[in-house]
Amino acid sequence: MFALLKFLLGWGSSKYSELSKSDSSSASSVSSELSDNIKHLQQFFDLTPDLVIRRIQMEQVGTAASLVYLEGLVNKDLINNNILHELIHRGAIDNEIPEVSLGSVRVVSKWDDIENSILQGDSVLFINGQSKVRIYETKGWPQRAVEDSRIEASLRGAHQSFVETGSQNIALIRRYIPNQQLKIKEITVGERGKSKCSIIYLADVAHPDVLKELEKRMKQIDVDAVMNTGELAEFLEDSPFSPFPQVILTEKPDTTASHILQGRYALVVDKSPTVLITPVNFTTFFQSIDDYNARWTIASFTRILRFFALFIALFLPSVYIALISFNYEVIPFQFILSIAETRARIPFPPIVEAIIMEIMLEMLREAGIRLPAQIGQTIGIVGGIIIGQAAVQAGLVSNIMVIVVSSTAIASFIIPIYDMGATIRLLRFPMMILAAMFGIIGIVCGAIVLVAHFVSLESMGTPYGSPLAPMRFPDMKDVFIRIPLWGMNKRPKSTGAVQTFRQGHNSERGGEDS
Amino acid sequence: MKKYAANQITFLQFVFILHGSQVGTGIFALPRILAEKAGTDGWISVILAWCCNLIASVVIIKVFKKYPNDTLPDLLIRLFGKIVGRILILPIIVYFAFMVWNILIATMLYVKGWFLPMTPDYVVMILLIVPGYLVASKGARVLGRYSELVFYMTIWLFLILIFAIKDSHWIHLLPIVKEGWLPIFQGVAATIYPFLGFEILFVIYPFLQKKHLAVRGVVLANTITLAIHLGITLISFAFFSPDGITEYNEPVFNLLKVIEFHFIERFDMVFLALYLFVVTTCWLPYAFGAILSTEIWLGKKNSQAIAAILVVFIILLILLTHPSWNESNKWTQIINQAGIGFAYLFPFLLYIYVGIYNRFQRSESK
Repeated sequence: MFALLKFLLGWGSSKYSELSKSDSSSASSVSSELSDNIKHLQQFFDLTPDLVIRRIQMEQVGTAASLVYLEGLVNKDLINNNILHELIHRGAIDNEIPEVSLGSVRVVSKWDDIENSILQGDSVLFINGQSKVRIYETKGWPQRAVEDSRIEASLRGAHQSFVETGSQNIALIRRYIPNQQLKIKEITVGERGKSKCSIIYLADVAHPDVLKELEKRMKQIDVDAVMNTGELAEFLEDSPFSPFPQVILTEKPDTTASHILQGRYALVVDKSPTVLITPVNFTTFFQSIDDYNARWTIASFTRILRFFALFIALFLPSVYIALISFNYEVIPFQFILSIAETRARIPFPPIVEAIIMEIMLEMLREAGIRLPAQIGQTIGIVGGIIIGQAAVQAGLVSNIMVIVVSSTAIASFIIPIYDMGATIRLLRFPMMILAAMFGIIGIVCGAIVLVAHFVSLESMGTPYGSPLAPMRFPDMKDVFIRIPLWGMNKRPKSTGAVQTFRQGHNSERGGEDS
Repeated sequence: MKKYAANQITFLQFVFILHGSQVGTGIFALPRILAEKAGTDGWISVILAWCCNLIASVVIIKVFKKYPNDTLPDLLIRLFGKIVGRILILPIIVYFAFMVWNILIATMLYVKGWFLPMTPDYVVMILLIVPGYLVASKGARVLGRYSELVFYMTIWLFLILIFAIKDSHWIHLLPIVKEGWLPIFQGVAATIYPFLGFEILFVIYPFLQKKHLAVRGVVLANTITLAIHLGITLISFAFFSPDGITEYNEPVFNLLKVIEFHFIERFDMVFLALYLFVVTTCWLPYAFGAILSTEIWLGKKNSQAIAAILVVFIILLILLTHPSWNESNKWTQIINQAGIGFAYLFPFLLYIYVGIYNRFQRSESK
């Protein structure tokens, strides 16, 4: 880990050479003179008023020492009760430095280790006459409590979601998979931000090639800081120009654990409450953790509904536009008449009408996100009832267009993962334009483009279209329908899991007599 | 040695690439051509053509069994050396590219005729060819995935034709072999174009993962094609009167016109629009063949650039020639002739040559 840190520091040194001149001595070791060390620290951390240097005289040993930490990044209770109190008052045996009642203590002598630790929220003890320092893990910063996820509400699943501390998020995942094979690989990303990213996976299940690819890509990232997992995802994606999301970002530990158990990799980024999951398939975006929690018939129905919604959200507005402006011979005569009746007063061609309504809807959606929940409801009422109703009465849009656009919106919100819903909503605009220009031929050609792009996409080197392209029939048990869990003895092939079976052949289902 | 190992395709992908390349635009006129040549016994020609296809495919597989990692252009270079081999590859590239051109022109003319009569032909061609570029530039594996997915997505289209059975009169088919066997054989020769496609085996065979399943794959692919061709032929023959069928240029369209649902008045339009998916699986394997052969001819891998050149070339050619149905039919005639040579005769010649070549080499090494 530190070798890696050093590697990253050395790697970036060319870029930040003029900036990092002052810490050219960072690679050197600590001197045994306490005053020299303090001077060095004060030089390094100039204009850092939150740096605390607590000088102490150890009662029993008699030597002078200094405890250094950044105020606000540390847990003060720990410092006061477990470190300072013990150092000052407790007796030592054989003139040794007294032990403190703290979980994690490291002894180091390199300056860059020390400086990094202070910046990360650890406290460092310098002792006069010793060229080794002790680093106490005293991290503690303002934290949010574990709450229910707001964008991934679940019906019956766990109501815990990730928080902004990486180690807590890892703990939340580990609670679901208390297994020795659950491995964590740490990589630090960002020159200044130094976000600790942990790749979590099951060593005997997940495919090693994916890990290699993931690590390779992560090490290539050269940025100042990574604020959120979404930023990282942009650097990791296979095809950045594809409209489709190629990783899943989730807030829920149970979803994450379920993906890890299927043989995927989870990437926990410190300081971000979302976890990245890779490799994923297109169909993964239509699975929700609630599906496994409901009865399989209900879950299967929901699945089919979601795929149906996908088609509605993608094609309904464009098909409507194509049918009324181009290929009206396809729809029955009676229906044309009733459409013509509602459209008689509308001054615009169908495409303009549709775009007005779609843009309106997108604005309502975007406005709703940023507002607090109470005002958000008002927006809904204003948008849905007043604008919808008034626009029809004013003769700006037709009734049927309002129906089409609102069913499209509902359909796009059914897709359980927000990113995919957003993609589908975006994709229907080019579809609508194609439909307005070329009718149903335009729609079909657009669909061919989508299918062609879909089959060539990859996620971390595994096919994105799996199990549809390439067709993998064993995986179909969990796509359009979800068969009972006791029938899913094998892990999905799409994840490339090396351990195939996830549960025994417990197919005996208890007869009448037992 | 195994230069195609990274791009292998599964058994089913192999089957659906083969099958996809066989079912294209030729199917619409097929019942008429058969009826003209062989009367209502044309469906027997379909079965005979299936047999011919199988024999030719098995010969192709036999040739490549000895060279499991070679495509046809690779094999030609291996057999005839770099210079002669390259000269022999040229007609193959031209054949594949011409096939792409011919299928796309026919599709474009159908689309123009049925949907977009006012749109310029090159715009329609851009609409058709650009989606294909995304697949054609990617290699065998993506092609396999595409053909497989599209097969499952569109197979129901053919099942819809069963709705026409309720208006059919099976008596039209009787008596069987009423004019003797000669017209039936003539029917086989005249229907080469709709049956062509298996010659794509020349280029996709080395990509197949499990080579021992190749023969089975070929049989399966040809049988699926047979089922579709036979079904369409029989339903058309039963639906139209034996004399009436030859009056329609594309009887399948007229057949589709009859199919109507409560919610869709003109199902044939929907069918034709969705049939564009089927057409892509027909020309994309040829485009893949042309691109791969060009790559081998040039000796370097750059499928994206070659695919782009092919696309631009086709669009430019359309701008220059503005082809019509007459020209398209003429080209189909040429393809028919070339197809007989390339897909049916050439494999036998190659088989004999490879046999002699091997014997010659063996005696030389002794």
